[in-house]
Amino acid sequence: MHWVYRIAGLCFVALSAFVVWESWNLEYYTNLGPGPGFFPLWLGIGMGGLSFAWLVRVFGRPDTAKASAFLPQRAGLVRILSILVALAAMSGLINLLGFQLTMFLFLVFLLMVLGRQALWLTLVVALIGSIGVYRLFGAYLDVPLPPAAVKFLANLGL
Amino acid sequence: MDAFQNLLMGFAVALTPQNLLFAFLGSVLGTLIGVLPGVGPVAGVAMLIPLTFQMNPTGAIIMLTALFYGTQYGGTITSVLLNVPGEAASAITCIEGYEMAKKGRGGAALAIAAIGSFIGGTFATFALVLAAGPLTKVALEFGPVEFFALILLGLSLLMGLAGKSMIKALMMGVLGLLLAMIGMDPVRGLPRFTFGRMELMDGIGFVPVIMGLFGLAEILENAEKQFAQVFTAKMSSLIPTRKELRDSIGPILRGSVIGTLLGLVPGMTGSASSFLSYIAERKVSRHPERFGTGLIEGVAGPETANNAHANGAIIPLFTLGIPASPTVAVIMGAFMMHGLIPGPFLFKEHPDVAWGTIASFYVGNVMLLILNLPLVGIWVKILKVPYGLLFGIILAFMVVGAYSISNSAFDVGVMTLFGVVGYLLRKMDFPLAPVVLTLILGPLMERSLRTSLEMSQGDLGIFLESPIAVVLLLLSAFFLIAPAFRFFRRGKGTVSGEEGA
Repeated sequence: MHWVYRIAGLCFVALSAFVVWESWNLEYYTNLGPGPGFFPLWLGIGMGGLSFAWLVRVFGRPDTAKASAFLPQRAGLVRILSILVALAAMSGLINLLGFQLTMFLFLVFLLMVLGRQALWLTLVVALIGSIGVYRLFGAYLDVPLPPAAVKFLANLGL
Repeated sequence: MDAFQNLLMGFAVALTPQNLLFAFLGSVLGTLIGVLPGVGPVAGVAMLIPLTFQMNPTGAIIMLTALFYGTQYGGTITSVLLNVPGEAASAITCIEGYEMAKKGRGGAALAIAAIGSFIGGTFATFALVLAAGPLTKVALEFGPVEFFALILLGLSLLMGLAGKSMIKALMMGVLGLLLAMIGMDPVRGLPRFTFGRMELMDGIGFVPVIMGLFGLAEILENAEKQFAQVFTAKMSSLIPTRKELRDSIGPILRGSVIGTLLGLVPGMTGSASSFLSYIAERKVSRHPERFGTGLIEGVAGPETANNAHANGAIIPLFTLGIPASPTVAVIMGAFMMHGLIPGPFLFKEHPDVAWGTIASFYVGNVMLLILNLPLVGIWVKILKVPYGLLFGIILAFMVVGAYSISNSAFDVGVMTLFGVVGYLLRKMDFPLAPVVLTLILGPLMERSLRTSLEMSQGDLGIFLESPIAVVLLLLSAFFLIAPAFRFFRRGKGTVSGEEGA
């Protein structure tokens, strides 16, 4: 399982290198005192030092744990990726198709395909979660959720 | 005397019909979040912040704080009846509570837990009333130098207490600070790490980040297994016997003190309080060998302690402006979103919010006592909702919560990204609590450091001119260095042990 920790350690080192590089381009010190680059530069250096120390410890110790403890099984991985794809689709389509339609499809997918719930229950929850929440947030909580940008859908009240 | 007059004024605020409703809503939602396995108090509070946008600040804070301590009550129900802790602070209750439930005394265990939680919460709130005046006076003497030293002490305590691996805790603390650097520089107003995205000009939203790290990451972890579990639990009589009541008095009193004191310490979680209370009860018991067989002392003490802790953890936030735990840090974020800065000035500038919220703790604890005794059957029924349905509803809530913070789909993406990051970090046993605290405290810490250095024209000696700052800095150094010494004395461990920290 060492490889997981090594990759993670290298990612942290890369992150700190990026922060140091970016901070370098910001003003470190001004006439009045520390500039915008002061704090992030030291944080980047600190993160680099810590990541390096962690990497040294990970490389220097015997590997006792199995990789299977880290990786999910195939079915679990499919479920995780499905949730992430659904969320990415939700984020990408919410302004185009509007909250109501996107949330309806999102809930139908999650509840029926992943959650294996009955059709009637899925539809009830999806309708409340999409149209119900849209009205509730817009009318009572004064937090407007986006309508569809596509004219045809907007004409349908979505 | 002043404090009690202020408290009376606070009751006048807390007892308005509107604020009573908010306290009730917070209590119900908090109990619900505590009951449901898979949604912790941190993600729960973050998720519901958008619901408070149109409320007045007092109502919003009353609701969110009620939600926070409500989770402590709710977590008990599943611990006792199902042996599944609804949230971490109630995990230790499983040991005695579930054994009692198996013997048909689950109802009595819940009743004692609710009474203990009520007493613990009320005790901690009373401590807050007493501490508010003196601590606020001290805090009003603080300038940027002392404030920076205080934040540093808070963070050092957190690092020192976070799990077995100091390096991992420090890495997570720095990660939170780095995330806090995104957006406008707090002193000069120049953009940093924004990658040209307008959405990042105001900084990365703490609500989507926290919902991702805590809420979504938990769902992704659960998604590794089949979504099949349906819980069923049977309820028994709620009335404790005389002996059970008598045996609970000592643990409740000790739990109140332990929880309140540990609640004050930054980095201490509610689970540490309940665990310590359980250990204390075993130590003082005449029959320690009977622990593990369903003793009421093992329920009364820890449940009192975790609720006293939740209320006690509010004290440093209200008096010093420093959050003592991740959930309190999220509440601090909610304060700031409503244009309020928690800390000593809150009592001066917004006494209605400060004292109204404190008074609402008493009201909320009474409500929770009522909700948790006669209505416990309803909460048990909620547990029958299959997780395959529940996870979808929770995800939908998260999407709405993340989107409505700034009406931006970008924030849904941020939540998703941090869900993946949180899932991976959890699998590698990185503690996530430091990220929340430093993410919220980062801008305040940077501003106070830079203002201090501007005052001294870059001379670090300014931190040695203030005796308060010197003491705070020495304490910070001690808490940071002590674990390192422990590590070197202990010598080598295995990588898996290290990774498991």
